[in-house]
Amino acid sequence: MNHKLELRNVTKTFNTEGGEMEALEDINLEVKPNEFLCIIGPSGCGKTTLLRLIAGLDYPNSGEIILDGKEVIGPSPDRGMVFQEFSLFPWRTVLKNVEFGLEIKRVGDKARREIAEKYIELVGLKGFENCYPYELSGGMKQRVAIARALATEPAILLMDEPFGSVDAQTRNILQEELLEIWKRTKKTVLFVTHSVDEAVYLADRVAVMSARPGCLVKCLDIDIPRPRKRTSMEVNEFREKLLMLISLERSKACISV
Amino acid sequence: MRLPAKEKWLWLVPLIAVLLLWEFTAGYVIKNPLFLPRFSAVIFSIYVLREVLIPDILVSLLHFGIGLALAFAAALPLAIGMGWSRNIFKAIDPIIEILRPIPPLAWIPIAMIWFHLTHYAAGFIIFIGAFFPILIDSYTGFRDVPKVLVETGKVLGCIGNKKQIKYVAFPYALPSIATGTRVGMGVGWMCVVAAEMFGVSDSGLGYRLFQKFYFLHQMDYVVAYMLVLGLVALCLDHLFRHFVEDKLLKWKKGIVK
Ligand SMILES: Nc1ncnc2c1ncn2[C@@H]1O[C@H](COP(=O)(O)OP(=O)(O)O)[C@@H](O)[C@H]1O
Ligand SMILES: [Mg+2]
Repeated sequence: MNHKLELRNVTKTFNTEGGEMEALEDINLEVKPNEFLCIIGPSGCGKTTLLRLIAGLDYPNSGEIILDGKEVIGPSPDRGMVFQEFSLFPWRTVLKNVEFGLEIKRVGDKARREIAEKYIELVGLKGFENCYPYELSGGMKQRVAIARALATEPAILLMDEPFGSVDAQTRNILQEELLEIWKRTKKTVLFVTHSVDEAVYLADRVAVMSARPGCLVKCLDIDIPRPRKRTSMEVNEFREKLLMLISLERSKACISV
Repeated sequence: MRLPAKEKWLWLVPLIAVLLLWEFTAGYVIKNPLFLPRFSAVIFSIYVLREVLIPDILVSLLHFGIGLALAFAAALPLAIGMGWSRNIFKAIDPIIEILRPIPPLAWIPIAMIWFHLTHYAAGFIIFIGAFFPILIDSYTGFRDVPKVLVETGKVLGCIGNKKQIKYVAFPYALPSIATGTRVGMGVGWMCVVAAEMFGVSDSGLGYRLFQKFYFLHQMDYVVAYMLVLGLVALCLDHLFRHFVEDKLLKWKKGIVK
């Protein structure tokens, strides 16, 4: 389970009506095996773009993305992704959604079901197997999406603000559960967020992005032992530090414009 | 939806009222069966005509079946192509837009020349009538597949047009295909009658209604056949709803109702 992801000098420009738009500039990043890495940055700084490149849904203009020594050239189930927007297949039940990747891989009926059940239980949705997505709350939908991404046993789990559209209380619960899942599955997680609280609660390490063009400005290790208390001194101090760093970056960006 | 017993039978009241009104107006006000036959006379006609009625229904259903099956078989692949690929759409859409406004009945002479007095001649008119509604609705379904669902599929290993259509686009478009088919069935049934009336056939409900009963001014028979035409269409629609919409599209409940 020692998967390593590396990004070397990755840049991405979009051709828009107003000309070329540099979305990502010279991104260098190494995600260590079994690490929980958060990427934090303001809206529009290119977080989604970065995850899409890693997922293989889009291509960098230069630089390379390497997973376990192999360059990423397209989407593949070895990189699971949980999208920001709800992405369940509405015509499939919870069970069938989770089975989707296995079905594509032509895993036999019985094995498929077993694996799916296991992950459904892991995300705490036992008993909801036969529900359709319209019957689920926002938080439950994202749990199914997580189970579905895990079911194909990816080397790395990419998460794009997965809890962005659920209420604050549910978000706290989902964060706790995600940590539990991460501990049990020993996955490498790359988690994108714009929330400082979320990053400090979840991550082993947080990478700070700045906008226009999006680039990584700093990586900080968070060595606060888990379980973390959201209101503890250490957590507060770290949050303060991170907020300072972010506002500093923002003012720098303003000066350079 | 479960209604209290009283509301469940509410529809019967106006129906019976209308039938009674018809019976009395025809019998005591108009008093001219050529102008308006009485309801009871019409019902009796259905009984009198039972020997020819059943074969006529079967022939009309045969025409309808030929036309609808061909329309579906031709429209669906085209809809997949046009909805899935922008280029196929651009190439084919102009042809569709030129042919579509031509009323199906305008094709009757062509049908006669091409297929003579076979079942295929009537089938052809029904084909023309049902083809466009099926095509347009289905193609819309394939065109509107949300990007996030296609990408979710890709990340889970569903790569390539064939798999994406099978696992993502087709299930997504199914409700639109069903709607198109239902509309197509309605138009198709109108075409059955018209095609048979105007001589593309020497049997069937429309043929008998117009070429036999009307020419002999047997208006009670004409109205009897009109009722049968309506009832058959009603049955077809109910069967379709029962077997397709209620069974296949359970997952739509949350969205539609
Ligand atoms: N397909 C695209 N074409 C053009 N511009 C894009 C495209 N995708 C994203 N962008 C632009 O790139 C920038 C970064 O977007 P995104 O990665 O979605 O930011 P974030 O997820 O951090 O909010 C934005 O300015 C956005 O408008
Ligand atoms: Mg985003």
